Amino acid sequence: MTPGTRVRPAGYALVRPRSGRGSFLLHRRAAVTALCLAVLLAAVCVAYLSLGESFVAPGEVVKVLLGQPSPDDLIVGTLRLPRMTVGLLVGLAFGVAGALIQTVARNPLASPDIIGISQGASAVTVAALTFGVTSCTVLPYLSVLGGMTAAALVYVFAWRGGLHATRFVLIGIGFAIALRSVTTLLMTKGDYLVAQQAQIWMTGSLNGRGWDVATPLSWVLLALLPGVLWAARAQRTVSLDDDTATALGIRLGRVRLGLVALGVILASVATGAAGPVDFVALLAPQIARRMTRTAQIPLLCSALTGAVIVVLGDLLARKLLSPTELPVGVLTAAVGAPYLIWLIMRSRSGGKP
Amino acid sequence: MSAPAPAAPARPLPAAPTAGRRALTARRIAWTAGGLAALLCAVLLSLAVGARAVPPGEVFDALFRGATGPNAEVVRTLRVPRTLIALMVGAGLALAGTALQGITRNPIADPGILGISQGAGVAVVCAIAFAGVHTLSGYVWFAFAGAAVASVAVYAVASGGRGGATPVKLALAGAAINALLVSVTMGVLTTKASALDEFRFWQVGSIAGRDASVVHQIWPFLLIGAVLVVSVARGLDALALGEDLAKGLGQNVAAVRIVGGLGATVLTGAGVAAAGPIAFVGLAVPHLARAAVGSDHRWVLPMAALIGPVMLLVADVLGRIVVPPGEVPAGVMTALIGVPFLVALIRRKAAVA
Repeated sequence: MTPGTRVRPAGYALVRPRSGRGSFLLHRRAAVTALCLAVLLAAVCVAYLSLGESFVAPGEVVKVLLGQPSPDDLIVGTLRLPRMTVGLLVGLAFGVAGALIQTVARNPLASPDIIGISQGASAVTVAALTFGVTSCTVLPYLSVLGGMTAAALVYVFAWRGGLHATRFVLIGIGFAIALRSVTTLLMTKGDYLVAQQAQIWMTGSLNGRGWDVATPLSWVLLALLPGVLWAARAQRTVSLDDDTATALGIRLGRVRLGLVALGVILASVATGAAGPVDFVALLAPQIARRMTRTAQIPLLCSALTGAVIVVLGDLLARKLLSPTELPVGVLTAAVGAPYLIWLIMRSRSGGKP
Repeated sequence: MSAPAPAAPARPLPAAPTAGRRALTARRIAWTAGGLAALLCAVLLSLAVGARAVPPGEVFDALFRGATGPNAEVVRTLRVPRTLIALMVGAGLALAGTALQGITRNPIADPGILGISQGAGVAVVCAIAFAGVHTLSGYVWFAFAGAAVASVAVYAVASGGRGGATPVKLALAGAAINALLVSVTMGVLTTKASALDEFRFWQVGSIAGRDASVVHQIWPFLLIGAVLVVSVARGLDALALGEDLAKGLGQNVAAVRIVGGLGATVLTGAGVAAAGPIAFVGLAVPHLARAAVGSDHRWVLPMAALIGPVMLLVADVLGRIVVPPGEVPAGVMTALIGVPFLVALIRRKAAVA
């Protein structure tokens, strides 16, 4: 009986480095889930690269990925890889963003596509489309701007001597509905080709996304990585109730602001890259949480789940009605929602959010 | 993430029950009377204001004295049906939102987020795309059936697993079903361009251009739904205290949820069928009503049924005069007018219900 075993909560393993200095608790089930998700994601990615109009053997795919010369360089490396990279990164970003915002709001219904970020991005983008801006280099930045502006407005209006979770979410939804109304109004004003273009963008699509989108997206997300690492720790403290957290000396207001800001930036950037792929941010954290059965929403598993949903969704979107390509947003909910429904129906805990 | 907080009473219970109770009752009666007066004003405005301004005296003559002439014709054939629909839809959506927030104990629940409106939307899209239905009175039955199917699906999913349909499971099941339905809608719209061209005008939500036949089609449903929702008012009060306490108070929790949910479905179905998915009324009105008369559902429900139509009528009237000679649909105006109200209300309250 080592000292470590007596204070260890159920389901955790105590990890001690060889040097003997420092140690941390590892939630066993979460670790196994993350590992399984990572393997699944890798498999889905290889499938994504090898399936399509022309089949490429998985062996060749791996060759291309390792940079060895291969006859399928063009199809895999130039056509499918950048698009998959965008999908993967967008999925990761939405997963993390959803996890953070749901944690701060303490409400499983709160996600970036509910509290106005997606709607802000959509309103600005559809307005731009309606007034004849169609350049693909300008639109992503406009939508990032729209998403962040909407979130900033919500924050300003929800701030009253502190950021109260429910207040933030309610005001967010109010803004979301107002912005969505403006967007639908714009869609009835423009001619119908513009409406169709706007509809596809608002559904979320990876069609024609290449390295010109993937590279800046990678750099931005890499720059945000330290923030995400901080969030992974900070997130646990926010999920306690306010009084406990305050008693532990946590500066709740600041931590919340930091987490929400990070979630908003991630969601806005992802929206800029692929349009508001609805429901990934809502579904991924809830699926991840039900798989790991942790008290908080697991950040890493949410990210991986989000990525699996988007990449698998886009694979189906390319294959299902080929040669017609559906926007990925049509399929993400179709991939994620049934699984969440199944998890709810066989859940062993009655009242856990 | 803890379960969403139950609706807290707007004010702590007073120490002296009799005097405090009397004051509370007086306040409630005052607010209800104020709501009634506001509703009468809104109805009069709705009958008098528009592209052709009709003086109140002539409105009265047209209604009760059988006056003839262009003004009377406009009032009787165009504005009376429009006003009736606003009254019915506003009251219906507000009651539905109040019931759903009570059942799920989630302050951000409303027919939109829980997938009921979306169910109606999917049915209308399918009616346009596959059944060749192109009239408003033809949409009605489809919308109704869609809302019903969506609700049954949400309840069926939520009551699976252990513990039955808990608030959190209901909310999540609603979100998941909503996601699925949205993906079906988007799938049809992005592949059938002609359907989008028609659907975008229904999707905005409007009470203009409906004739009296729609009124006749939906009023029985609204009545049934209202009766169902009001019949579980005490049950909703008990639910706000939590499931165990409600059971302890002798409430049959499952029955309250099913009857209330059924009522909310019937109301939403009728409302969406008549006016399209008008957002915001179902979300915001319950909060406004609770702020006015406290948390007792026997007062909140009638108050909501007064505030809902006021909001919709005022929105519709303003929509007629904002950009003459055109009109802004009521569905857009509700959100644009409602958001400032909601923001002000939520900022004013220390703790959000």
